Amino acid sequence: MTETQAGDGRHHVRSLLMRESLIDKDLVAATHDHDRLVRMLPDACVVKVGGRSIIDRGRQALGPLAKAMGDALASRTLIIGTGGGVRSRHVFSIGLDLGLPTGVLAQLAIADALGNAHILGTLLAPFGVVAIPPEIFGHLLPFFVKGAPGVIFNGDPPYSIWEHPPPVGRIPPHRTDAGSYLTAECFGVKTFTLVKDVDGLYDADPKTNPSASLIREIGVAELRELHLPSLPFDEILLDLLERARLVKRLQIINGLKPELLAPALDGEHVGTIVHAD
Amino acid sequence: MTEELTQEAPQVVAAQEVAQGLQSDLLSELGRNLVTGSLTDPELLRQTVGPVRQILPEANVVKIGGQSIIDRGKSAVFPLVDEIADNLERHQMILGTGAGTRARHAYSVALDLGLPTGVLSVLGTFVSMQNARILHYLLAKHGIPFIEPIQFPQLPLYLVERRAVIFFGMPPYTFWQQNPTVGRIPPHRTDTGSYLVSEVFSARSMIFVKDEDGLYTADPKKDKHATFIPKITVAELEAMDLQDVVVERAVLELMKNAQHRRSVRVVNGLVPGNLTRALEGEDVGTLITAD
Repeated sequence: MTETQAGDGRHHVRSLLMRESLIDKDLVAATHDHDRLVRMLPDACVVKVGGRSIIDRGRQALGPLAKAMGDALASRTLIIGTGGGVRSRHVFSIGLDLGLPTGVLAQLAIADALGNAHILGTLLAPFGVVAIPPEIFGHLLPFFVKGAPGVIFNGDPPYSIWEHPPPVGRIPPHRTDAGSYLTAECFGVKTFTLVKDVDGLYDADPKTNPSASLIREIGVAELRELHLPSLPFDEILLDLLERARLVKRLQIINGLKPELLAPALDGEHVGTIVHAD
Repeated sequence: MTEELTQEAPQVVAAQEVAQGLQSDLLSELGRNLVTGSLTDPELLRQTVGPVRQILPEANVVKIGGQSIIDRGKSAVFPLVDEIADNLERHQMILGTGAGTRARHAYSVALDLGLPTGVLSVLGTFVSMQNARILHYLLAKHGIPFIEPIQFPQLPLYLVERRAVIFFGMPPYTFWQQNPTVGRIPPHRTDTGSYLVSEVFSARSMIFVKDEDGLYTADPKKDKHATFIPKITVAELEAMDLQDVVVERAVLELMKNAQHRRSVRVVNGLVPGNLTRALEGEDVGTLITAD
């Protein structure tokens, strides 16, 4: 396997993909083998705590939820992502007004979620659960969760100025829900839970429409067909779930009912489950 | 449940008051709508459409291929390095590097072991970084630095002072790299990372330096009947549904949403003078446009 190859002017290392175009359809299809995928953290749970929906509410919402998290940590490993909340919305509005591009808005928003990670990290510090700097979080995650019952990170994916321009407007599409999901998927965790301030996904916005009814479980394709006016999570999650290899479902729960946290972490159906198919 | 929903916490109310204050004092309605509305609401997203300030309008982003250029060694790299140096006086260049054959080897081993796409992305980043370091030492006497993503805030200074910088082309997604639709190879690699730099900075051009004259109807290395395409739109290219394309498909996908960098050029870096012609804005290689 260490032999080198020449002959076409390029010095190759012999491998399955040697000389190949990684863009060729057949080559790409040949890598479609998901039977033996490694799950790095099969016993851990990823939880995303909403910024505006939970953390911005302060003690009233975050106090009881942090206590529920502390209780849950006794028998579970939690990887907790945080949203940026109202400060991210504010920095978006300033950035948009000044004509800054999507990538810059994504870079700026990371600071807000990081601030919220430190707020939650202060509350969970007695359990040994703190906010980890994003620069080392991914590489050291398996190490940290062996030494502590959980970790907190800013939910943002490290896309920063490499954020994708969205189809409409300039709001970064990969926000903290997406980043937390991608963490769950890559590390192959047991469950992925989104903690918001609604019971789950409704067929209309329950805050403005009192007759909205809760959807208990739905697939991505079916959800797309409903053409809902808004979603309680980053819309790009639908695309990411469709391409899931390891974590093929998410559950949205109401963080104002902290007693739902532990059952959701264990995979019990207490909110809305969205699955890949 | 309803009670909990209608009962707003003091901080949220405060946020709304702040937003209302902003509306009257500082910002348009958009500021308030962003603070209080849903970021998945299409109506709100339409309000965020607007002109972008060009951050580095004089800079050209140039991606140097890994397998196509750097893996060829001095026969391809030395003339190209000389050509880059010759252009420093006239053009600012942000130079990204590809990964190449060692990434293919690392991906092969990782695929065999069942490692997830995010880990493959980490491995690809390391190889792309090696190539950036190689290019950096070859251009070091011109004072051109290699910067990692964390050093990007220094990029504008280096461009003004030294006219060029080198970065690794991989976007720093690492474990957060998305799965591809099919297979496990990271869909966003060095072409995509370089392209996104050109888009976010509103760069003057995006030039991919490869070892083919540009885009063909098939891989010219495998198919002698492949025909050269000098100019094409993304929509035309998608309609052709080609088996292979000269740039990562994600670049084509992202170009459709781009606010500024709506064309990219692919040139043959084995032909002396091609990079210079592309930097001068001449019609060389293949031009792919979003519109």
